[in-house]
Amino acid sequence: MEYIYSVLILIGINIIMASSFNLIIGYGGLISIAHPIFFALAGYCSAIVSMKFGVPIPLAIVLGTLFSTVLSVALSLPSLRVSGDYLLIASIGFQLGFVEVIKNIEAAGAASGLTGIPALYSGPLRSPAFVVTILAVAALVVWLVHRMTHGDYGRAIQAMRDDEECFTSLGRNATAIKVAIFAVGSGVAGLAGALYAHYSQFLSPEQFGIIQSGLILTMVVVGGMGTTWGPVVGALLLTALPQAITFVNLPTAIMAPLQGMIYTGLVLLFLFVRPQGLMAKKVRQ
Amino acid sequence: MTAAIRLVSVQKHFGGISVAEDISLEIHAGEILGLIGPNGAGKTTLFNLISGIHAPDGGEIYLGDQPLSRLPIYKRARLGIARTWQHVRLFPTLSVLDNLLMGPRDYPGAGTDERAAAILARVGMSEARDKMPGELPFGQQKLVALARTLMNDGKVLLLDEPMAGVEGQVYETIKQVVRDEAKAGRAVCVVEHNVSFIRDLCTRAVFMFNGRIEQQGTVEELLASEKLAELYFGGKKGETRS
Ligand SMILES: Nc1ncnc2c1ncn2[C@@H]1O[C@H](COP(=O)(O)OP(=O)(O)OP(=O)(O)O)[C@@H](O)[C@H]1O
Ligand SMILES: [Mg+2]
Repeated sequence: MEYIYSVLILIGINIIMASSFNLIIGYGGLISIAHPIFFALAGYCSAIVSMKFGVPIPLAIVLGTLFSTVLSVALSLPSLRVSGDYLLIASIGFQLGFVEVIKNIEAAGAASGLTGIPALYSGPLRSPAFVVTILAVAALVVWLVHRMTHGDYGRAIQAMRDDEECFTSLGRNATAIKVAIFAVGSGVAGLAGALYAHYSQFLSPEQFGIIQSGLILTMVVVGGMGTTWGPVVGALLLTALPQAITFVNLPTAIMAPLQGMIYTGLVLLFLFVRPQGLMAKKVRQ
Repeated sequence: MTAAIRLVSVQKHFGGISVAEDISLEIHAGEILGLIGPNGAGKTTLFNLISGIHAPDGGEIYLGDQPLSRLPIYKRARLGIARTWQHVRLFPTLSVLDNLLMGPRDYPGAGTDERAAAILARVGMSEARDKMPGELPFGQQKLVALARTLMNDGKVLLLDEPMAGVEGQVYETIKQVVRDEAKAGRAVCVVEHNVSFIRDLCTRAVFMFNGRIEQQGTVEELLASEKLAELYFGGKKGETRS
């Protein structure tokens, strides 16, 4: 049972990560690889303020989320004022740089990881409570992304993607929209990270490497960029698949590279064969 | 009459080429100013300078009393500068109605749906509201693009070759809309190679060549000018559409 719970939680976390990354890359057209680091920054922030300063956990989670949101603005605002390419370059620096920073901060457990993070829930119903919380947040995030990308705001996002110059000349501030999209997407990743920290009670820099960026991207591409349900399907598939492989009981020396190859293969396969992903948007002119 | 928009010694170079050389120009509320000149004269560039796509190398552009050069594109649009593009540029993935809904200065704005419906009716495009731009013939796309700028409801309307590739009913509609917009007090500037359109609508015209204003005056004065005949019509005076 405990295994089922842990898979469900992983699915929920991945849905949150994929949906929020889809907002950034699929709808916003913003290319960044820094999604995992916003997960990490909020996780560490929430863990540390609750451990060192005794901040109540729910408040710590909020602070962690805000921390990632604010840092995402610090990343996107200066780069997007220059161009979209700068965001990608800056995000690489951000992702790689902060992993190194975390590895060297003693208070964050450095390279060996941060242990003893207080749990959000305790007692016998701890795991099902986490499952319900994470899945509820995942549903909320899917809804939020859907709301943002439809209606008036969604129309503006779409027009911006169609023709940014024409869009601005109608009186719309494209930079503000992009920064907002990036902040919401990164904040949501942060929320996932903070929740995760108080579930697993352990964080280590290995969990947020660039390989995670690839995994989240795979989920979005396979499921379908710029669709509401694509990232959900992608997250389900790509969480279930490695779990299934685990049952074959291969040694980790084979498992790890095998997973990497499967992800890479899937991205390439989909980019060539079905670039719109599984949950294709209806094809329009 | 105070100028709605005023250019004072505006300069712009691309590489070594001067595309706006000491341009001083006023467009008044309620007037339709014709901007003519051969290909590459700098007409579109002038619109790009006014709407903020390009920053001038020198000089200043005023909207009323407000200098514009430090304002980004979107702020100028919000102050009431609306423009069309030589190449139409409707949003291809948005329906006709959604294209119009992107137009208000205070997006999404209040009562926008009603205004969009009224403007579509005004240009005779109500039927097409749910169509995608790609499904429409070129002339109708131009009507939609014009309709989208009307959603701005601003002070200045810059139209870049509204008549190019347009004929028949659409031609008449655009003409009527341009007239009505000026009557409503907007300052309208039209870049057009269609001389009869300029003659029918404009009170005043400006002739540009190589980034310079060669001549300005009434349309009749301009059309009678030797210089314009030589530089624009290649020596032969008369009505040509290029
Ligand atoms: N972004 C740009 N970069 C470099 N050169 C440019 C740019 N935009 C325009 N030009 C050049 O500036 C000159 C004026 O171009 P512009 O488009 O303003 O002409 P135009 O009068 O509108 O001509 P047409 O009647 O063909 O539309 C041309 O030589 C053009 O090649
Ligand atoms: Mg032009």
